Amino acid sequence: MSLTTTVRAALSIVAMTWWLVAGLSACVQNAPPELLQAVEALDRQLVEVQGAEFAPEEYARFVDRWVAVKGRLLAEEDVIHWPWEADPLVTDLHELQEDGRRAAATAAQRKEAKRLEAQARLSVMEQRLRVFDGLIDQMGSRVVLGQRPIETEVLVSQARSLLEQGLYARSLRAVQEASRLLEVQSALLNAELGRYADASKVEMWRRMAQRTVEWSRAHGAAAIVVSKADRLLTLYRNGRRAVSYPVRLGFNGVLEKRYQGDGATPEGQYWVIKKRDRGQTQFYRALLLDYPNSEDRRRFQLARTAGAIPAESFIGGQIEIHGKEDMFLSQTLGCVMLDNREIDAVFEATAVGTPVTIVGAMNVTNAVALALAGIERVGEDQDAEGADVQDVVEASAVEGS
Amino acid sequence: MRHVFTFAVAPILLLVVGCAKAPTDKLAAAEQAVTEARTAGAADYMAEDFAKIEGMLANAKTEIAQQNDKVAVLRDYEKAEQFLVAAQTESARVMGEVGKKKEEMKAAAIQAHRDAQAAVKTAQQLVAKAPVGKDRAALEAIKADVRGLNASLTEVAAALEAGDYKAAQSKAKAIQDKSHSVSAEIQSALAKTGAAKGQKSALAKKK
Repeated sequence: MSLTTTVRAALSIVAMTWWLVAGLSACVQNAPPELLQAVEALDRQLVEVQGAEFAPEEYARFVDRWVAVKGRLLAEEDVIHWPWEADPLVTDLHELQEDGRRAAATAAQRKEAKRLEAQARLSVMEQRLRVFDGLIDQMGSRVVLGQRPIETEVLVSQARSLLEQGLYARSLRAVQEASRLLEVQSALLNAELGRYADASKVEMWRRMAQRTVEWSRAHGAAAIVVSKADRLLTLYRNGRRAVSYPVRLGFNGVLEKRYQGDGATPEGQYWVIKKRDRGQTQFYRALLLDYPNSEDRRRFQLARTAGAIPAESFIGGQIEIHGKEDMFLSQTLGCVMLDNREIDAVFEATAVGTPVTIVGAMNVTNAVALALAGIERVGEDQDAEGADVQDVVEASAVEGS
Repeated sequence: MRHVFTFAVAPILLLVVGCAKAPTDKLAAAEQAVTEARTAGAADYMAEDFAKIEGMLANAKTEIAQQNDKVAVLRDYEKAEQFLVAAQTESARVMGEVGKKKEEMKAAAIQAHRDAQAAVKTAQQLVAKAPVGKDRAALEAIKADVRGLNASLTEVAAALEAGDYKAAQSKAKAIQDKSHSVSAEIQSALAKTGAAKGQKSALAKKK
């Protein structure tokens, strides 16, 4: 081998080596930084849209692949490849980017759907609560419900706060609980006041009132009928309606009186047994009734035996039709209260022995029965609006898909 | 003798020296760390970070399974170990942050509870002074409301006890707001009564 040949061979080897090294160097490359940044941005976006909560499967898939790719990047694998081959890391990053986009879109769409649902259900609930509150005030039956109304209000307020914090699932749960509480209240009102909508009961009350009016006609004397649902006292003379006045009842007036201190106004046929003029009563002028009568005593004993009222309770008494001592400080615990000018008229028109009949209502379309029907409608509307909310949510899901 | 070494001893040596062992200890440690992070509330308070930790653990397990399927001499658990170490390190970091976040939320919830208690107490004091006005039903309803608000405070305490600080805080805030409304209602009634009393005594003096 000549020197020239040897030199040529050496040069060729050097050249080949150079080309090989150059070629390989060209293939040694890191993943494109802009691609990595894009995937990292998607990762952040997924955190913002709460991917783990709203698209758990898609997010888990993205995370698994992303963690694996990061592992490969750290291990510096896949950095050398033949020039004619696609870089597998880049390919995987592209696929990951697509996965991430899909997961982010899914999470954002589901999150928005949840927000819409929570917002809509809360609005329906707030509206329902407003109507419900109005109706129980109309019936004067808030006290019957005890602490439940405020507990419901607290829940609805809490649901609003949770919604504003983006805690949609929790907000929905609070609304659901509030709805359940409203149903409990509705059932309680029906149990306590359902008799106002009971046609046979109302008919019985009408007959009681009718008997009193007949007595007035037969004796050519005054008689009084009080309708609790209408909050109205009617004075009859000689069997004819003379005048009607609005009244206030006990703080739990719409209920049937069961024991002392329950704030309920009794229902039944009574007589005026004493007239208390100025100075003899703290309520300006008063007509004392013969509550409890024998029927009241029988009911009281039955209720106590059945355990429907506290064992240590008393039947109470001192039920009057009275005026008020002070415009702002007057109160009644179960009596029938009139304005002073009106008690003056009633006081003058009646005597000891005047019959006084107190009934729940005089017709089935009384205020309490109408309010109860309204409460039932509120429940039905809630169901219908719930279906509407579902439609809105489904429509938004279709839109987003 | 050389042949004996080449064909018998060398492969044995290779097997003994070269066979990698699955990182069971590291896997157990990582799993323990992830469980602790979950128990500390990472899944609730740092869901996305926790998902990544679970991803690391899942990748490590997949890698171990893949290596286990290989011929013993070819097994290499280095990558799996990297995932496991990363899962363990991240779990420790997340646990620290979750602890901090929970402490912040706990402090806020406790403060909200105190504020709510103070608001309810104010309402209770006002109810005691409330005028027995002509609307006794309204007063009884207000009393029931204040009792209800006071009862709801126990739910806040229960949520605090259970570590559900989001629920505790939102409930406490709602109770505080309602208590303020009730107090305002009573104060308004008190103001009216005060004005009426003043008017009455002025009239009495004139007589």
